[in-house]
Amino acid sequence: MDDVISGAYVFTGERSARGYALNKMANTLSSPENRTRFQADEAGYMRGLGCSDTQIDLVQRRDWKGMLESGASIYLLLKIGAAVGVALPKIGAHTAGMTLAEHNARKGQL
Amino acid sequence: MATVIGGIGTSHAPTIGVAWDRGQQKEPLWAPLFDGYVPARQWLDEVRPDLFLIVYNDHVNQFFFDAYPTFALGVGATHSQADEGWGKRPLPDLPGDPDFAWHLARSLVEQEFDPTICQEMALDHGVLSFLPLLTDTDWKVPVVPLAVNVIQHPIPTPRRLFKLGAALRRAIESYPKDRRIVVFGTGGLTHQLHGTKFGTKNAAWDNEFMDRLETEPAGLSELSTQDYMERGGTEGVEMIMWLAMRGALGQSVKRVHRNYTAPLTTGYGLLVLET
Repeated sequence: MDDVISGAYVFTGERSARGYALNKMANTLSSPENRTRFQADEAGYMRGLGCSDTQIDLVQRRDWKGMLESGASIYLLLKIGAAVGVALPKIGAHTAGMTLAEHNARKGQL
Repeated sequence: MATVIGGIGTSHAPTIGVAWDRGQQKEPLWAPLFDGYVPARQWLDEVRPDLFLIVYNDHVNQFFFDAYPTFALGVGATHSQADEGWGKRPLPDLPGDPDFAWHLARSLVEQEFDPTICQEMALDHGVLSFLPLLTDTDWKVPVVPLAVNVIQHPIPTPRRLFKLGAALRRAIESYPKDRRIVVFGTGGLTHQLHGTKFGTKNAAWDNEFMDRLETEPAGLSELSTQDYMERGGTEGVEMIMWLAMRGALGQSVKRVHRNYTAPLTTGYGLLVLET
């Protein structure tokens, strides 16, 4: 199977292993208490859960495309997005290399 | 004896739940979607099912990649709601049916499908986004959820899901209690949540899929996982779960209702079939 299909990453075991620490951190954001702790100190929270400096930097810069390329699952990006107040349209547009306005103006088909 | 009285194929999406919670059912953006569920709900009111068997996928809410099951069956007396990151919605826990679910587990294993058995299984929008559109939220009809990994590859093949459907039917028909069961397959239709084609859909393929699901599902089950992702997106591959629903209905079906809208990033399909 191709690793990139329709301009998107197939979430393979290899990707899942590479992004494991970041995905695991994001998975903890499914409780209000953890979201509050994360919001209070993003870097400290992530470091405490084993994220690398590179992963912490990607999250702090809201580099959704970079997170994805480093093995994040889109579903866990959405959890980070929920914790920092960014929804799917903006995240998805960023992974496409576009601003939200550029994405909204586009008419495309798979 | 239990019987499959019909099947429902439906999309699921967090946005459906948000729009429902906000009471946006009559707004122009959403009315074509919500109105489309009214005939399906009327059909359910008429046929009075005793149980919903829902083949769906978790979105890394109940399960994480430390141990991500290929198939997982919820056998609990109740199913709680997962917090997907935005807090829980104002919905009560869903009732399960442990007696039927354990029967299903035994029958599936005898038929060489081996699900992870879950006495606790929190459900996400994979079930809870569309269910309030089809039934009152005091949840009178118990739900047995069967989760399929369509997130982390390798995922089960389309053919495997179609065969799973046939196994579900045999399991249902070997259950000694009288139960009228509706089998759901939920996911898709086409959507692409990341990458250069983010937000694009494929309405032609969505409609072809719904046509062929009704008339020649075996042909659809012979397509590859890659075929589904090329036509419908890496996340749209969820639609293969409709094949499990269709496989549970046997050869010939009667279409009761069909609807298709695509107001946002996902092609929303709805198909109600009677055996």
